Amino acid sequence: MTTRFKTLLSGFLFIALIAINMTVMAESETKPFAEKKVVLQISDNDPSKQTLVLNVANNLMKHYGPDKVDVEIVAFGPGLRLLFADNSNASRIQGLADNGARFAACSNTVKAMGKKLGHPPELNPNSTKVAAGVVRILDLVEQDYQLIKP
Amino acid sequence: MLRNYSKSKIGMLVTGLLAAMLGSEAQATNWLMLQGTEPDAAAPRAKLWGFIQPEYQQTDGSEIAAGPWAGQNAIFNTIAPDLKSDSTFQIRRARLGVRGTGFPLDSKVNYFFLAEAGNNGITRQGGGSVKLTDASITLNHIPHARVRIGQFKTPGSEEGLQAIHVFDYINFTNVSNQILLERFFDGDGTGTDANKPNGPVSAFRDIGVQVFDIFKTGKWEHSYAAMIGNGNGITRSDNDDNKDIYLYWSSEQVYGGKGARRQGLKLYGWLQDGERTLTTAGAGEYDRTRYGIGTTFRKGKFRAAAEYIDADGMIFNGTDGGAVAGSLNNAGTKVASFNIEPEGEADGWYVHFGYAPTPKWEFDIRYDQLNRMTDVSAKERQFETLTLGAQYFLNKKARILVNYEVRDAEAPNLPGSAGPNLILGETDDRLAIQLLAIF
Repeated sequence: MTTRFKTLLSGFLFIALIAINMTVMAESETKPFAEKKVVLQISDNDPSKQTLVLNVANNLMKHYGPDKVDVEIVAFGPGLRLLFADNSNASRIQGLADNGARFAACSNTVKAMGKKLGHPPELNPNSTKVAAGVVRILDLVEQDYQLIKP
Repeated sequence: MLRNYSKSKIGMLVTGLLAAMLGSEAQATNWLMLQGTEPDAAAPRAKLWGFIQPEYQQTDGSEIAAGPWAGQNAIFNTIAPDLKSDSTFQIRRARLGVRGTGFPLDSKVNYFFLAEAGNNGITRQGGGSVKLTDASITLNHIPHARVRIGQFKTPGSEEGLQAIHVFDYINFTNVSNQILLERFFDGDGTGTDANKPNGPVSAFRDIGVQVFDIFKTGKWEHSYAAMIGNGNGITRSDNDDNKDIYLYWSSEQVYGGKGARRQGLKLYGWLQDGERTLTTAGAGEYDRTRYGIGTTFRKGKFRAAAEYIDADGMIFNGTDGGAVAGSLNNAGTKVASFNIEPEGEADGWYVHFGYAPTPKWEFDIRYDQLNRMTDVSAKERQFETLTLGAQYFLNKKARILVNYEVRDAEAPNLPGSAGPNLILGETDDRLAIQLLAIF
């Protein structure tokens, strides 16, 4: 292997490493001063769980302060209804999003619900699609997020 | 013993208090939306719910003082719906319902189903001890025009439209009970039979189609409703080709909270217009028009409400001689009947004030007045009731209500010695105690 090639390879690996770290960090860098990292799961059909998970997110932010706690709500299965665009809790979701909470919508569930509905459900604009809700939770747990399922 | 007390001065005091409270800051709830729709994307497929209202009511049982039925039970001193006793325990209402979306992924289709098994005017007439009170489907597909189809509460007076399990009193006002809570008869009472109702009371409901929705501008929430219905009560089809029209508008400044006890100041108006068909005595088709304007207020510890109602046509006019319908007069020559004045007029109003010093307690006072048959001087009757109430909340879903009704009635254009005034002068006060549990 020539020296030039080694240099290029090292540079490439270095840049790749930085890019990976930035990707990982970007998710927690939205709250660079966060002392607590929490992922809240909602996968129930029970509408009272929607209220409960939003209450928990709100209580976390009230207790620690919006900048000191990083909260992501991951919705999959029947719980994805929380992130429907017409959900009656939309204003509460907006309020939490304004304080930095994130909302992840499981694409597998979106697809399955789309088949039942006959069209993809319209999601809350504050939500981000992830490949799979449960995978997203595992990823966040690996990044030291505490999983709470109210 | 229950005593009769003069109420006019107390009524004026209540009115004054109400005016004072409204100046500073009633039940301000959007019943159209609460009863007809489910929260978008947050409603269950099927939510089972219901409530039970066991109660005790009592009067002094004063008898008819004059006329052909003198000495017999006065219908106004007996306890409905059976009208056989002046004191009774009963299960006033026992309702079981289910509501939801059916298909939770689609918020656009809601349903509401409610059945009644209690002892009241819904179940006591027309056969069957369990009756359907509500069965409707709401379609939320058209922007600003939700469509509700089936049997449900008609848009109108607050007393009728509100959910009965959050009502602050045990009994309705005179104007609601006599003029709005419709009883259906085959004749006008001039025949020889008792002319008893031919079906359940309307329960403030009809079977038809309603278009409604809300619009929000800042803190104000405006609602409209337009409905067309049979105008022949519940659990049966129409009896003629006429249909009733219902119109409703409300504007509410919402202070906060949600659900049945949302806080706000609401102004509303409504109109109900239709025709009724009598097939026996007094056979014919008659107009029936009702309209009203009102306000409700609820903020912090204070509640208040007031409404004025006007009625034209098909005026319920009590029974012959104040007797229980079906009773034979003392001479054995005539059976007392229920009476309807097909072309009569009436009006009424009420004011209500409530104060909840703690979350556990609420004290209420209501004055109501009904002027019946205002178009015929000799037939005019005036009913006044001052209701003193207390509620104790065992928890959010269970409470005890105690009401003491100071009742008075007279024929204002007849001398005090006239038969009607002698009879009405025996109107007793009424004590009512009710336990309510919602589940």
